[in-house]
Order: sequence, then C-alpha cells, then structure tokens
Amino acid sequence: MNWVIVERSVAAVGSVVVFVVAVIALKNDWKTPGIENHVFKIMLGLLALGGIIAFLAGIDVLGRFGGAA
Amino acid sequence: MAVTTVPHAGVHDDGPDQLYVETRELRLQGFLLFLVSDVVLFSSFIFAYLYLRNTGNVWPPPGINRLDVAFAAFNSMVLFGSGCTMHYALENWKHNNFVKYAWCMIATIVLGAMFLGGQGYEYTTLYFRDHVSWGGSGIFGASFFTLTGMHGFHVAVGVVYLTVLLLQSLAGTYTKDKFFGLTAGTLYWHFVDVIWVVLFSIFYLI
Repeated sequence: MNWVIVERSVAAVGSVVVFVVAVIALKNDWKTPGIENHVFKIMLGLLALGGIIAFLAGIDVLGRFGGAA
Repeated sequence: MAVTTVPHAGVHDDGPDQLYVETRELRLQGFLLFLVSDVVLFSSFIFAYLYLRNTGNVWPPPGINRLDVAFAAFNSMVLFGSGCTMHYALENWKHNNFVKYAWCMIATIVLGAMFLGGQGYEYTTLYFRDHVSWGGSGIFGASFFTLTGMHGFHVAVGVVYLTVLLLQSLAGTYTKDKFFGLTAGTLYWHFVDVIWVVLFSIFYLI
C-alpha cells in the first residue's frame, strides 16, 4: 500500500470537510455579539484558510518548493 | 468619600452567580491577553526562523532531506478536525445537548492525542532515519524542533486541559449559563489550530 497516496487522500478529503464545517460555523455565528464570539469568527476564518492550504498540500499543488518534498 | 465594597464569594448577597456575571468579562479579557502573549511568543520565534532562513542560500541546508508534506498534511487534518469538534462541543453545550457535547469533547481529546502521536512519529523518523536533531542540524533543526516542539507542548497542555474540562462538566461544575471554562478551552484549542496553520505553511509548504 502506498501510504503517501493514503495520507494525501485523507488530507484532501478531510480538508474539504474542515473547510465546510468551519464556514457553516462561521455563518451561524456571524451575527452573534460578544468579544469571544468575535474572536471565534477570526479563528474559524483562519481554520477555513487552513482547510484550503491543507487541501492544496493534499493534492500536491503546494509544498513542492523550498523546504518541502 | 464614597466607599466601594468589593463583592466576595460567599458573603455577596446575590451569591456566586452574581459574582460570575460581574467577573466574567474580566476573566475573558485576562484569558485573551494570555492568548495575545502566546501569539507574541510564537511570532518572535517565527520571524527569527524566517529571517535566518532568508540568510541562507540553500534551504533546507545541504545534507538535510526535505520534510514529508503528505504526512504533515494528514496530521494537520487531524488537528484541524479537532478544532471543528471542539467548536461543536461548545455549541452543543449552549444548546443543552449534553450527550453530543461529551462525544465532541472526547473526539477532540482523541484527535489531539493522535496529532501528538503523529508529531512523535515524525520526530522519530527525522532523528533516526534522516539524522536531524535539535542541536546537530544547525538553524533548520533548532528552528523546526523549537517551534513545533513549543506548539506540541501547547497541544499536550490543551489535551490535559480539555480532559479536566470534560471531567468537570461531568461532575456538574458548569451549567447552561455558567460555562466560562468551556469557552476558554474552545478559545485555547482554536488558538493552537491557528498557530499550526502558520507553522505548517512555513515549514512544509514554502
């Protein structure tokens, strides 16, 4: 079994799930007041960004240069 | 001269609930300041790494293999997934779904432990197969192990913290209206997620 393909596949599929969940949570919390909810919104946005980055790494678009294999 | 009395647990007329309401904002601001101080800590190490990296002509330095992006992406998904389960743990608590809350918390703790296991596997591989170490691989080894190790320490603390929160909630410490500990735990866990987004990008992708 080629573990690299398995790892990349799980990363790609998982990142889509994370992105969708983060965006839905962000949408649900969008109008919620309070300092902590504003911080949650920033963090959920960055989590969605992490999902995009991990997806691009999973499908081998990112991570082909510099210090990465 | 007006005299201001400070409410004290046990002697305040309205009991601890009133005290909780009065101090919640202060505790939240204190916790956010703690997170900001952690951001400053990580930022200083990250900028030091980026500065040192830009001073070298070749990166990674000669003799050091490139990092395993596929495994790091997989491990990142484990941590990002735990961020989602943690967020829904808090949402379920707010909506009185205790069973779903407990399962989401357990999933978060398990995923956090899995991430640490993955990091341990990566360290072992780097050390024994690629001979990369903290003190013996120059700037690269020192930066990589310091930053990812510091983050791993935060994740380990978070796993213990969330376990304590779960046990406290099972013991009835928190109610539908009093759950600042759970809010702080969620903020902390999102913080370690966001830090990993940055570390994953700078060490593995650029």
